[in-house]
Amino acid sequence: MGSWAFIGLAYGVALVALLGYLLLLKRRLRSTQEELTALDRPVERRRG
Amino acid sequence: MEARTVVSSAPWVSEEGRGRFRSSATTKAFGAAAVIVLATGLTLGLLVVPPDAVQGQVQRIMYLHVPSIVTAYLAFAVVFCFSILYLWKRELRFDAVAVSSAEIGVVLTGITLATGSIWGKSTWGVWWTWDARLTLTAILFTIYVGYLMLRTFAEEPQAAARYGAVLALIGFLDIPLNHMAVQWWRTLHQPSSILRPGGPSVAPVLLLPLGVMFLGLVLLYLYLLSERVRLERLRHQTADLRLKRGRRG
Repeated sequence: MGSWAFIGLAYGVALVALLGYLLLLKRRLRSTQEELTALDRPVERRRG
Repeated sequence: MEARTVVSSAPWVSEEGRGRFRSSATTKAFGAAAVIVLATGLTLGLLVVPPDAVQGQVQRIMYLHVPSIVTAYLAFAVVFCFSILYLWKRELRFDAVAVSSAEIGVVLTGITLATGSIWGKSTWGVWWTWDARLTLTAILFTIYVGYLMLRTFAEEPQAAARYGAVLALIGFLDIPLNHMAVQWWRTLHQPSSILRPGGPSVAPVLLLPLGVMFLGLVLLYLYLLSERVRLERLRHQTADLRLKRGRRG
């Protein structure tokens, strides 16, 4: 492997890790928001 | 974890906070600034500055490896401070910052270990060696993975926060030990070249991309922390609402 291959591997691994974490975080946020909205809904109906 | 009994505390889970389904303007600004600064740092580090006189091109891994671990240290320092605040005040909002910061710190330490291993293979000829600095970084990673795992075993959020805070205080001791390892022991890893007595030994031209990449990673950390704390807050609100439903039902 040449120097640039090692550099590409290092930066590639970091990019995958950070992007992966960010996407996972966004998915967890969306899922929790949906859960909270679903929990809120019956109360709104009763109040209405 | 969200469905467990929760001893929550307002205003952390107050009604007014329930509308926070979107990232704040500050969070978005951190994210945008991180992208711009990291792109600048990558351009400087990979394309503009000359290669190292001894290691050649492969030294460019340093512009990612060093800022990653320094930002991870920062993340764990935040865990340490907010764990103390939690143990003092017993408010879950402090624990939320601690656990959020720990998660990001683990990602950054993982990146440090991976990039260090790749750099090691290209310069030392091995992916891994039981060197003091490498071993202590692996221990640091394990401590905070353990911190995140330990919390999942606790029955209640307050217990998870308490166990986590105690482990965070003990685990933080690994950081000064890790930093000093290259001075105290004869290691394969090079001695500190930036945070050292007498100032940095790195050529000023190489310090610029290093500083820019560090700033970019700190901005990215602040963006991720803000989003991760928002997730924790939503989880607490969900658990609180479940608890109220349970009481009514």
